[in-house]
Amino acid sequence: MAQSAQPVKKRKIKGDGAWGYAFIAVALIVYALFTAYPVISAFLISFQEYKPLGSTYIGFDNYTATFKDDLFWKSIKNTLVYTVLTVPVALLLSFLVAIMILPLRKKLQTVFKAVYYLPVVASGVALSLVWLWIFDPMPGGIFNQFIGWFGAHNQNWLGSSATAMFSLVIMAWLSSHGASIIIYLAALLGIDDSYYEAADLDGASFLQKLWHIVIPSLKPTTLFLLVTAIIGSFQVFQNAYLMTGGGPDHATTMVGLLIFDNAFKYFEFGKAAAQSLILALIIALVSLFQFKFLGKDVDY
Amino acid sequence: MSLYNNHTGSRAGKTARNTVIVVLLLLFALATLFPIYFMVISSFGDPVEAGAVSYSIWPGKFTLESYSFFFNYSEYSYRWILNSTIVAGAVTITNVFFATLAGYAFSKLRFRGRGVLFSILLAAMMIPYQVTQVPLYILIVNTFHIENTYSALILPGLVTVYNIFLAKQFMSSIPTEIMESAKVEGCSQLQIFFRIIMPLSKTVMAVIAILTFMESWNTFFWPFLVTNTMDMQTIQVGLKNFRFANTTYFSPMMAGATISAVPMFILFFSLQKYFLEGVTVGAVKG
Amino acid sequence: MMNKGKALSLMLAATLSVSALTACGGNNNNNGAASPSSPASGSAAASGSADSGAKDTITALLPPVSPTYQDNFDQMEKDFNAKYPNLTLKIEPASWEDMTQKLDTQVNAGSPPDIAFIGSDGISKYVQQGMALDLTDVATPEMTGDYDATPLEYMKNGSGLYGFPAYMEVHALGGNKQFLEEAGIDWKKVQKDGWTYDEFRDAIKKGVVKNGDATSRYGFVFATAGVASKDYLGIMAKSAGMPAAFNKDLKYAYTSKNYLELLTDLRQMIDDGSMPKELSSVDAGKRWNMFLTGQTMITGKGLATFENSAKKNNAKIDAKDGSAVKDSIKVDYIVLPVPTFAGAEPVSSTVVDGYVAFRGKKEPTAEHKANIAKAAYFLSSGKVAATTNNDLFAAHITKSGREAAASMTIDRNPDNVAAVETMLSHAAPARPDIPADLGAKAIKIENEVIVPKMQALLAGEIKPQDMYDAVKKAAIDAFGQDGIVQD
Repeated sequence: MAQSAQPVKKRKIKGDGAWGYAFIAVALIVYALFTAYPVISAFLISFQEYKPLGSTYIGFDNYTATFKDDLFWKSIKNTLVYTVLTVPVALLLSFLVAIMILPLRKKLQTVFKAVYYLPVVASGVALSLVWLWIFDPMPGGIFNQFIGWFGAHNQNWLGSSATAMFSLVIMAWLSSHGASIIIYLAALLGIDDSYYEAADLDGASFLQKLWHIVIPSLKPTTLFLLVTAIIGSFQVFQNAYLMTGGGPDHATTMVGLLIFDNAFKYFEFGKAAAQSLILALIIALVSLFQFKFLGKDVDY
Repeated sequence: MSLYNNHTGSRAGKTARNTVIVVLLLLFALATLFPIYFMVISSFGDPVEAGAVSYSIWPGKFTLESYSFFFNYSEYSYRWILNSTIVAGAVTITNVFFATLAGYAFSKLRFRGRGVLFSILLAAMMIPYQVTQVPLYILIVNTFHIENTYSALILPGLVTVYNIFLAKQFMSSIPTEIMESAKVEGCSQLQIFFRIIMPLSKTVMAVIAILTFMESWNTFFWPFLVTNTMDMQTIQVGLKNFRFANTTYFSPMMAGATISAVPMFILFFSLQKYFLEGVTVGAVKG
Repeated sequence: MMNKGKALSLMLAATLSVSALTACGGNNNNNGAASPSSPASGSAAASGSADSGAKDTITALLPPVSPTYQDNFDQMEKDFNAKYPNLTLKIEPASWEDMTQKLDTQVNAGSPPDIAFIGSDGISKYVQQGMALDLTDVATPEMTGDYDATPLEYMKNGSGLYGFPAYMEVHALGGNKQFLEEAGIDWKKVQKDGWTYDEFRDAIKKGVVKNGDATSRYGFVFATAGVASKDYLGIMAKSAGMPAAFNKDLKYAYTSKNYLELLTDLRQMIDDGSMPKELSSVDAGKRWNMFLTGQTMITGKGLATFENSAKKNNAKIDAKDGSAVKDSIKVDYIVLPVPTFAGAEPVSSTVVDGYVAFRGKKEPTAEHKANIAKAAYFLSSGKVAATTNNDLFAAHITKSGREAAASMTIDRNPDNVAAVETMLSHAAPARPDIPADLGAKAIKIENEVIVPKMQALLAGEIKPQDMYDAVKKAAIDAFGQDGIVQD
């Protein structure tokens, strides 16, 4: 999306157009069948009142109903709050961890990478049971014991509007960086040593090297992680679904969960399709914005 | 690896620095690992029902009964792991290959419509998957009639846009000169890809492999929808079968979850040398 | 983004051609309302030639109805095939939680299983979609005559019969005998005569045990986390003069002043300290743990099978092999009725679950329909029903099931059996007269307003009046001023 938008400075190999098409052929076929076709289908459905035995076209009703729906806007707001609170923090943590792992001895590196990767490995469904216990509202819950040491009162973490969203955010902070740490590390290892050598000759400090070499070199990676993390966050639904079901009083109803509910709980598939296309548009605009402002000086 | 000024500080300074780092990393690890820790120690508990769970941080008991309970629960327990391995393995291989291929084409080759096609691919990432599930299900079941087969489990995930995007971002750092000189020497694009690009891309291929395997291994919803019989279910669907209306066999569930994490760990350790050695562009160039 | 318009049109073009290739999967999207009748008649003609006795396969999507239910699938398939050699029963297992989602996806895709095990309250939404299959003309008198009339009624909607019931369970409360007696509660009398909210409130206050500031035992804990809050309110509302969401004149009932009083009472029990203030996060597993570990005197909802679970745990405590629930105590499980609110008559909340028949995009042949009825009947009667219901401690609701169960022994507390009988005697009547579209609107209000507001009410974030107003507003929007109860 960004590439076509930016002036193409970099060189590309010429005269291999046919190879280019051949190389992307499988990807395109898979995409057309299993992504594009369902999306088009959903697009058509968004103008219908969906019934398995024959839908009826209702024009833009699903869209107008969505725009008038307070719950939809509330869910957008919740999603934004969640995204703003989780994505930057999680990304920064991943970056810091990757940087900190880098100077360690090989053995230690391996250990830490494994350790941080571990949480991603275990299934979300099984782990959500553990998280439910951590947030157990009774005094025996882990978090309640923890804050009890500081003299704080028992909190009804997931059960009260004041803390439910915060609980999900904490969960994201502590469990969502295995993949980004690995991607960051791989990118860090890809930075050419000669840059550092040159900087060392100039007597650059650690922070200067970090600022002038590492951060610019990692920009494509950061952009990738940021875009995919924000997309993921906008579509997030599993944690809310497993932990709070969107409650209490819709305090944690994310738009992804709302769409899921509309599609699979209330059978309003037309409405769900319309809402997800609106969401897709929002995500596209946000991504475009990121590419425009962050991808500007990315040197490929 | 000289982001850190190894030669300027004294040896003691370096040790002190690394100690601080290790302590910080350990603290953070403690917080992130806690749920896993609890999963593992709970799996060594007795196979009793959910009411039974009285959470304790320290393992009260060590028994493998929950593991045997898990395997005895259904005659298909092993089959679920096998199915997951087959599906995740196939999806991983195809993704590594096709995503690298497409990523290379999108980042290094010039052809008409490249930007547009890539934009179209990216656009797909923005559609929430919830909404494509029903049309996709209709396609697989009513059009292709392949429900309850490995094809149904594998085909939709053959190659994902995320991986293509990832591969493309990584390959953009490979200097174009390498390919140009190879062309001058008479290599075809296919040869360039296999002889030059793939060896240079081991790092990103390893990353794609581990992420794809993990994603596929942990997927619940799609396999749940397209499988109809126990012998075709994957481990995640099987795990969910454990949960009853009012009771959950907590320890066996955790045992199952622990077991299901093992293959990913094996894969991680067998691939991790690529993350470490990470045949970097610079190394080759130099 | 200079190429955006181009990209979009290309994408549309590329994928439209794909959708043309695979149009058969999407024809329901394109043809709108016109499509259903034509393929139906075509297929009936095509496969209608089958004589009786032709081979046929019936698919059934079944959850773990009872703890041992899914273990018997192979046997059930074999027995069915032995009874009808030309027929094959193909069972798809699913867990309870995933069942609805899977079924809904299959229904939405137009290819549901022939039979699914669901709650009778789910029938109306499938009827409204036109996907539930009316078995009226293929259910033989021998079949329908086998069932007790009340539960069979639950499987109807309008004039259609959409399946056969498996059991009728009553939602009750469960008490710890020792604690009840310590608190001076005459539970035998309560089992016979029931209790009013005021009596109940008093009783659970007495059940509270305090340890300094902290409560070590509550009087009453009900699972209300997430969607279970629907259960809590629904069960209590039955005995508050609102046996269904609509009254006899089909006016929405949850706007009556009884509803406000009920909400006030439910909040009051928390404020009294008789129920935990964290009630909104207590789920089914948690409250059962609290019950077994002596942290509450009464729990809900209570099903007959809990007596069995408690007994099993008692046996484990006796065995001292460490397999019992940690910190649990021996418990005699006592079935207790739900209190009555606002001076209303006791009406038990009953749940009838059963085997509901579905149709796909194509109208099934008469032959196939008859076979579905045979399979649904097979699963809900005789030996299968007897085994399952005994496993659940649920009453038998078929003559054939009772006969088959005669030889099976079951160890139940006779007082509890009698209490369940009493409650079943004033079970909420089935309401096949509620039109599917009204039912669907009520479910929508329940999901979008009642459940979230109830969570907030239990968490102490809103007042009963706020919740009542929100429900009333939603009800007026949905049914109009004339469509609701105003008193």
